[in-house]
Amino acid sequence: MTSTLSLLRKPLVEGDKTCADVTRDVCDPLDRTPTRLWWLGFGLSSTALLTGLIMVIDQVWTGIGTWGLNKTIGWSFDITNFVFWVGIGHAGTLISAILFLFRQRWRNSINRSAEAMTLFAVMCAALFPLIHMGRPWLAYWVVPYPNPRGPLWVNFRSPLLWDFFAISTYFTISATFWYIGLLPDLATLAARLPRGWRKTLYRGLSLGWDGSQRTWSHYESMYLLLAGLATPLVFSVHTIVSFDFATSILPGWHSTIFPPYFVCGAIFSGFAMVLTLLIIARKVMRLEAYITIEHIDAMCKITLLTSLIVGLAYATELFTSWYSVNPFERFSTVNRMRGPYWPFYWTMVFCNVFAPQALWFKRVRRTPWKVWVISILINVGMWLERWVIITVSLHRDFLPSSWRMYYPTYIEVGTLIGSFGLFFTCFFLFCRVLPVIAMSEVKSVLHYAKDAPGVEA
Amino acid sequence: MPLVSETGEKIMEDDAAKAGADDKADGLTRRDFLEFLGASFAALSMAGCKLRTPVEKILPYVRQPEDAVAGKALWFASTCGGCSSACGVLVKSRDGRPIKLEGNPDHPLSRGGLCARGQATILDLYDSERLRQPLIGGGEASWATVDAEVRRRLRSAKSVRILGRTSTSPSLDAAIERMARRYPSLRRVVYDPISSWAIAEAHRRTHGRAVVPHYRFDEARAIVGFDADFLGAWLFPVEFIRGWSKGRRPDQPQGGMSWHAQFEPRLSVTGANADLRAGLLPSQEFSAVAALGRLVASHTGWTGPLPAVEGACGVDQGTLERTAGALSKAGRNALVVSGSNDPAVQILVNWINAMLGAYGRTIDIERPSRQAQGDDSAVSELLAQMGRGAVDVLIVLDANPVYDLGRAEEFKEGLKKVGLSVALADRLDETASLCRIAAPLSHSLEAFGDSRPVSGVYSLQQPTIAPLFDSRPALEAVLRWSGDRSSGHDFIKGFWRRKVYPHVHGAHGFEAFWRDSLQKGVVLADEPRMPAAHFSARAVSSLKPARKPAAAGAFELAAYASVALADGRQANNPWLQELSDPVTRASWGNYVCLAPEDAKRMGVEEGRVLRLSDGARSAELPAYVQLGQTPGVAAVAFGYGRTGAGKVAANYPTVKLFPIEKDLLAGANIRPFVASGAVTLAATDRTSPLSKVQIYDFETDPLLGQKRNIVQETTESAYRLDPHSGNPPPKKEEELWPRHKYPGHKWGMAIDLNSCSGCSACVIACQVENNVPVVGKAEVRKGRDMSWIRIDRYYSGAPGQPQASPQVAFQPMLCQHCDNAPCETVCPVLATVHSSEGLNMQVYNRCVGTRYCENNCPYKVRRFNWFDYAHQDLVQNLALNPDVTVRQRGVMEKCNFCVQRIYSGKFQAREDDRVLKDGDITPACAQSCPAQAIVFGDMNDPDSRVAKVARRSRSYRVLAELGVGPSVFYQTKVRNDSEKA
Repeated sequence: MTSTLSLLRKPLVEGDKTCADVTRDVCDPLDRTPTRLWWLGFGLSSTALLTGLIMVIDQVWTGIGTWGLNKTIGWSFDITNFVFWVGIGHAGTLISAILFLFRQRWRNSINRSAEAMTLFAVMCAALFPLIHMGRPWLAYWVVPYPNPRGPLWVNFRSPLLWDFFAISTYFTISATFWYIGLLPDLATLAARLPRGWRKTLYRGLSLGWDGSQRTWSHYESMYLLLAGLATPLVFSVHTIVSFDFATSILPGWHSTIFPPYFVCGAIFSGFAMVLTLLIIARKVMRLEAYITIEHIDAMCKITLLTSLIVGLAYATELFTSWYSVNPFERFSTVNRMRGPYWPFYWTMVFCNVFAPQALWFKRVRRTPWKVWVISILINVGMWLERWVIITVSLHRDFLPSSWRMYYPTYIEVGTLIGSFGLFFTCFFLFCRVLPVIAMSEVKSVLHYAKDAPGVEA
Repeated sequence: MPLVSETGEKIMEDDAAKAGADDKADGLTRRDFLEFLGASFAALSMAGCKLRTPVEKILPYVRQPEDAVAGKALWFASTCGGCSSACGVLVKSRDGRPIKLEGNPDHPLSRGGLCARGQATILDLYDSERLRQPLIGGGEASWATVDAEVRRRLRSAKSVRILGRTSTSPSLDAAIERMARRYPSLRRVVYDPISSWAIAEAHRRTHGRAVVPHYRFDEARAIVGFDADFLGAWLFPVEFIRGWSKGRRPDQPQGGMSWHAQFEPRLSVTGANADLRAGLLPSQEFSAVAALGRLVASHTGWTGPLPAVEGACGVDQGTLERTAGALSKAGRNALVVSGSNDPAVQILVNWINAMLGAYGRTIDIERPSRQAQGDDSAVSELLAQMGRGAVDVLIVLDANPVYDLGRAEEFKEGLKKVGLSVALADRLDETASLCRIAAPLSHSLEAFGDSRPVSGVYSLQQPTIAPLFDSRPALEAVLRWSGDRSSGHDFIKGFWRRKVYPHVHGAHGFEAFWRDSLQKGVVLADEPRMPAAHFSARAVSSLKPARKPAAAGAFELAAYASVALADGRQANNPWLQELSDPVTRASWGNYVCLAPEDAKRMGVEEGRVLRLSDGARSAELPAYVQLGQTPGVAAVAFGYGRTGAGKVAANYPTVKLFPIEKDLLAGANIRPFVASGAVTLAATDRTSPLSKVQIYDFETDPLLGQKRNIVQETTESAYRLDPHSGNPPPKKEEELWPRHKYPGHKWGMAIDLNSCSGCSACVIACQVENNVPVVGKAEVRKGRDMSWIRIDRYYSGAPGQPQASPQVAFQPMLCQHCDNAPCETVCPVLATVHSSEGLNMQVYNRCVGTRYCENNCPYKVRRFNWFDYAHQDLVQNLALNPDVTVRQRGVMEKCNFCVQRIYSGKFQAREDDRVLKDGDITPACAQSCPAQAIVFGDMNDPDSRVAKVARRSRSYRVLAELGVGPSVFYQTKVRNDSEKA
């Protein structure tokens, strides 16, 4: 069947895919034995995970002293990684919830994987506040619950406590949203499978989905509500993470611009990570028809926009530190640019402000490998941004007598690698057991912009 | 449950326990029985859960010692055995073990101060590497065998020598004299590892009396030091700091400030405090003193002979004239001191002091010091005799000549020819291990003893613990070997009855006097003064300096005694090893200090390992680039590189940490190089980073060049005109929230930056009091030192800016106990909280270790337990203060104003049924401060000393502009510029 393309819009799914094609394309990889490429990726990432695990066991066993921190610099890789990973998660929620509310239907083919990414990123992020504690076995003390220790309560003034609430809320809502969105696809999976434990499992996980009008109606109301709930989280979580710094008195941290700056940075880095992942995934899993160049192009535009905002934030920071006439503030800024860690600041500026400017060009936006390179640069840049804010501000603060240098140890580097290992291992497993594309949602946009029966104009 | 008593004191009282006790008075009813039965079942099942609680049996005393109450500290007055200064101490004893030394405020010389080394002697007592039993030829032996052997050899000996460091003990002197009567061939040779022989020798030649005078810095209005680090480690620093600080208080109505000039090759802690400082080469010291003397001579109208000026003196004429003017103006109240061990220099110093009339005022030779009696010529004689094989028995009495005698090689050779060598030593050190008999010496806290540091001042030393090992005090060993079976106690008592008691006025009955003396620790005896001695100028005219300039390309060696280790006898003391030098801020091992110019010329950066050589021998040490050092000088500290002191001295990490440090460069012994006086330096291709606690040295930042107003300074002339000079009134900041209420006490501290000399006694005091762990060289390098109080040191100027002599400021920095503490708001688990008395408290067992508080502390005074700084050394653990928790790893800690002392002060007041009064509570740092720069008390009491000091015009708070409301009030530093050119 040939279809006429709309003059005004571009189709969201390329090629003449039928609903059956979609199911086949998405589900078949789950039935086949993994490809060699998958084994390679999984092997690498699980090796990284194992490395990280050994590092974590070592530091919990021996002490945080295995890190390069000292009496002046209390946080470095740990909280940098935490903020980095929380930021990564933001794109997923933005794609799945905000773009859903704005009826951006192109998101349908990427929201599943982007949301999975969110979950895995938040898992990676949550690891760091836990292991950065001197006594992680007492981490449950940050939970306010009636306890036999007095009862001793928590400090509601501490941004770290807000973090705990923010992150746990974020994870719960994201996980629920993602799972609810999976229900129809889980039912499809179950329906395709022959009798066996997998069928039973998927059947059970689909919570008795029967595909009836009623079920769909409930499902869609639920999905809409959850999208509404998740939307403010995109802004609140990173706002609260930024409070860790903004509410302190340290020059370089103490800044009212931080909440919007951090939220934009988070979305920026999140989209970069989605691009990094999906450009690979669409190729490897042969999903080019679903995750099209148009998707990449659209995400590049968001990335470019957030890059500009981040750049503006950097400039504002410079301006306010100069305008404040606060000697500590001014020094802190100049120290980033000209102090011992200047290469990291300038790398950060290059990666986050200058490199994304290439995305103004359509040719670049529509060439996946170029976008991929830029996305990697942004990932590096955004990690450095957090590191520069945290560590470079700390290493030279008020009293020059306390100034110190920071050098990471292999334990810290290994733990960072391990967190990537965790992230990718989860992602690889996800690709093997769940549909990476929301089939039911994609099916609803199959005929978008195509002149076929039942298609909206 | 806190209650308020009649006296208004908030105290803790468990009235619930009292109520429970009343109930138990009744007999056991059936109902109770069943209740107990049920309860015991519950307890049994609970017991199964409590796997972590170790079961241990506690045994009561069989015979309860008198006054011993569990948990209550007893204090004994005694004498510090750290060095021959013999400061008065109070020994704090808990449950039968001494745990802390504090200065005895009644002691006329130390007046309550105690230096870092003195305080650290408590850990020497609990050093597990002490010698535990006598050894003969390396095999274990009993004291009986040793006594028999020594006495047998003594009887047949034709020549007996006792070699020891200065001992101020008059009864030991008497015992040795008695021994000499029994063995007439016995001669005693005394040396000081850091010799002051030249001072005594110079006085022999100028005043006919070989004495080291009693210097009275408290009387001095103008002080000039030539390489005499009297605020650091020269002679008797505690008394000197105390005296010097008396002249550093500009607020005192009478007299104003004293003026202090220092001429020295390296930047010492004394030079750092000087109003005028100029560098010179060690070889120029003679000419500089001579030039100054000639100027003073012209001022004072001296008509006697003048010394010849030998070569350039290194100091410009204007500076010398300024100095001479100040000295002449001060007249009798002037004091010139020199650290040189060249009699020629010391004779010139005597000459200047005599011209000024300082003898009798700032210099006392009628009641001289007894604290340094070393006689270098006697040592030379001994070495010659030993070399000839003419010594039959050599007893090394509490000394380590193989390490700390300049001619150690000669000594070692001679030792082989000695018939019987006996070492009385606290450990199998470099000397004891070479002697045939090594006998363990008791620690000064284990034995009776006495001391006469200055004529007329007698102090007693009493044991506060039974000897930990099979050791003996030197006095008893000497008594045994001379056939006297009396105990040290009896001998000292007898000696005091005969020699001290008759000179003490107002004592009624010896027993009462003895008890009283033991209780007070110190007695002033009205000993007859030595007859007045007059300066004889004959020696002045024909002097030649001993020191020659170094050959081209070589460096003049300035070997110095460091504040932490001095002569190195305490090198195995981890507290002292980790005590950072006040000036260099480095610890664990010594290094070669180089002037920036020399370092640049050689292309050497800090940490580069240099090969130091004097032609005959060489050593490897890392370089340290020291601002203010005279070019052409290589300065190296004594006391390091000990091979026989133990593991700590060898720089092994105290805890085996991961990754294990590969570089174990533990410093080198510089003493053998001193004789040649000049060394060559060659850079190697290796580096060994120094373990420094401060790596940036300026208040001015390196990028914008802005000076931060952390140490406020002014000059005396400006201060006279405006008492607020240098201390602009802080801007009034509006506060968003209501202030904390402090209804009872509000603890605060005041630190006078003008009298703080940077001596670091407070650092060790805090470490002892609060069980602050030692972390080792590798950790200090990483910036993980644990000190709760540190002494920041700032240089004037900016990095890279050439400065011949930077101005230096010291600033003790500790938790500021902010009213709006930034650390308190950020802790998620409320592990750091504000007390109603203004204390910022750290709850160790609540801390989960997020380190957020550390990040948010603008003073960076919080310290994190990166590892379990496990106290693995069980003997050493005996020194722990049971009032203070030993922190687990992963926990933040910091200064708490010695909260345990605050509480014990309150309890004591309540026990005495009185209101807590100012001075009842003194934190460890304030107690030990020889300069009394730290005042602690209740800010709510307008009459308390701290509140008065805080109201002074010089008072300011560091970083108060942040609005954190610190409770520590610093006093602006005032430099005396009254002798402007």
